[in-house]
This record gives sequence, C-alpha cells and structure tokens, in this order.
Amino acid sequence: MNDFFGGTETGAELILHPRWMHIEPYGLAMAAAWGAWCRRNTASITVRNVGPQARYAARMKLFEHLRIDPGFSIVEHEEAGRFLPLRKVSTALDIRGVIADLSALLHLDRFPDALAAVQYCVSELLRNALEHAGSPDGAFVCAHNYTSGANRRVSIAVADCGQGIASHLGSVYPDVRGDDSRALALAMLPGVTGVQPGMYGTPDNAGAGLFITRCIAKGSGGYFVMMSGRAAYRLRRAKGRSRSRRIVLDPLEERHDLWNLPAGWQGTVVAVEIRTNQIKDFQRFFRWIREQIPRPAAKRPKIRFT
Amino acid sequence: MKVIRVTVGRVVFAEDKDQARELRVRKLLPALEAGGKVVLDFRGVKYATQSFVHALVGEAIKRYGDEILARMEFRNCSKQLRSVIELVVDYSLSGFPERSMRAKAE
Repeated sequence: MNDFFGGTETGAELILHPRWMHIEPYGLAMAAAWGAWCRRNTASITVRNVGPQARYAARMKLFEHLRIDPGFSIVEHEEAGRFLPLRKVSTALDIRGVIADLSALLHLDRFPDALAAVQYCVSELLRNALEHAGSPDGAFVCAHNYTSGANRRVSIAVADCGQGIASHLGSVYPDVRGDDSRALALAMLPGVTGVQPGMYGTPDNAGAGLFITRCIAKGSGGYFVMMSGRAAYRLRRAKGRSRSRRIVLDPLEERHDLWNLPAGWQGTVVAVEIRTNQIKDFQRFFRWIREQIPRPAAKRPKIRFT
Repeated sequence: MKVIRVTVGRVVFAEDKDQARELRVRKLLPALEAGGKVVLDFRGVKYATQSFVHALVGEAIKRYGDEILARMEFRNCSKQLRSVIELVVDYSLSGFPERSMRAKAE
C-alpha cells in the first residue's frame, strides 16, 4: 500500500508502471480522489512513466482529473470502449447522469437486468459517499466492462477522501471510533447506518445499501473490496455456484481477507465486481437476496400489487 | 383515493432518494394522515434501489405498522420492482436480524 497522504509537503508523485497499460477501476478512482485531495492541500502532483502505455489511463480521463498534460493526445472511439471514464460526482444530479450513461458506455443495453444490477451498485455506492463521507471533493467513480473470456464482468470503483467509516459510524457507535477494521465489518451489516441507530434505520436510510451491493457481488460470483483508514476487506470470489448461493450476514464469516495497512487511506474506497453473465433475471436475483435474510415467523398482510 | 405517480424519466431506474423523500413528505404521508387510501403508480419504472423504496414508503410502514398495507396499493409494478418492495416492507416491519451481530461487532 502506498503512502498516499504522507510527506506531500514537498509535492506528490504518481508512478505508473513502465510497461503495463491496464489499471483496474479502483486504482484509477483512488488516484483521481487522491489528486483532488492533493490540490485541496496545495500539493503539486507529478506523474512518472507517462509513455504510450499510459493511453488507457488517458482514455479513462485520469490525467484530466489530475490536471496534468500527458504530452500526447488520444483519439476516442466511444463505440469501441466498454468503460465509464472517471467522473467526479458531487450532487444527486451527477449521480443521475452517471446512471443514465452506464448503458451506452458499458454497452449493456442488450442485458437489461445485468445493467440494472450495475446501476444499482453504482447508485448505492455514490449515494453512500455523498451522504456519509463529507468530502469537499465529492466522490470519483469509474467502471470497465470486461467481455472477453467465459465470464463477462463489470468492475466498478468509487473512492472519496472524506471522513472515513470509523469516524462516520463512530458518532453513533462510539466503540468503533478509531478502529477501522471493526468499523468496516460493522458498516457491511444490514441495518447499520451512521445516521441514527435503530432496527428500521431512519426515514431516509435503512443501512442496507452496502449489504445488498455485497450480495450482488457475491451472488454473481464477483468480489467486493472495501478500504477505509488502515483497514481493507475483500470478499473473495465464490469458488463455485454452491458457495455463492448462501449469503452470510456477517462479512467476517464469509471467505474474506482483512488487512491492517501500514499507511491508510483517508476516506473510503469500494470496488465491486459483478459477473454480468450470472444475472439474467434481476427479479429472481433480488428475491434470492431477500430469501437470505431471515424473516420473523409472523406473517405480514399481503402487499396489494395491481 | 389519492394516486401518486412515481416518475423517473427515460432511465426506468428509480434511485433518486431526494425525489422519493419529496413524494413521501409532500404527498404520501399527508394522504395517509388524512385517512384515505393511496395508490403508488410506478408506470414507467422498471427497477428501483432499496434505498429509493425505503425513502418512499419505509417511514409510513414504520409509523402505521402492517395495517397500512390495506390502505396502500402498488400499481403498475414490474416483477423486478415488486421484489424490491417486498424486501423493504419485510424489513420495515420486522427489522434486520443483525442485533446479535452488531453486539458482536461492538
């Protein structure tokens, strides 16, 4: 893990790999959020290894967000790309714009239910960032639709340099204040929100967005990564269909990795991979999520759908 | 009977919680307060996030309990939308079974 936020008094440096072209969305979203943080803290940014291999980063608009001239121009062929370039999101209107553009940019128009799952995750992650992170820079999002190979997948990332999860949840759950690992685990439980405690959430927040996003990743066979402060959690890809058929409410009882990083991230990063070929029917998929949540024995009255 | 239209424009995906809150505060809760029946018409909406549906109906269900379901009608819902509404109604009535886990985390 890089030390993103230390020693920036003398300037900040982003070092691209000298040969590799591809950067996963979480790397791009983090770099863009970090760039905004640097500007806010008057740290000048330099980028090393801006060669031909940096064209992908340029197409994803990383240099635009870092406000750096890469020294080359690119010809954009939107019809050929299957990605959502980096976007800075500061308002609900910005979120609406991203959601509206996902279909065309990721070329998912032929797969409406898979597109809905992607839109779902992007919306929930961006709203979380805007509502809870409190970053003056907003949040940064990008995504890539990988279509080669047997498993089609969409990788999404949202990063902010806001207050972080431990600080946010700490106002309601004082025990996790200053404990990034426990705060991460708590944040992924359904029904937990930093806005106000209570089994039913608040009128505007149920605390279920992250949980359902995690379910969508797991149910499709993808991964879910979350990083805040010094803690990083990764829900591993399911090994087989049988494993992914059951959701464990407690994220620490899933197949996971939990790291305590020497140099942390000031804010929150969430990366989600959705295996889009596994989501052919959104309704059945969502019903499956609902079935994973234990319900009370008492039967409720029927909902009147007409 | 009060009919409340839920519209989302060309995207068919309802996710704007601000819009849901506006409908809840300005239309849904006052109509329920008045004692009448309410129809939530989702024509044109195919998908919604749980956050949107929660911001729209969660408070009403919490405030009035399950008896409110007899006074609320969900019209023109796609099967995808129905599954999200069912999830929100279920947890709004009985909560998430997370208390023990939350205690463990604490």
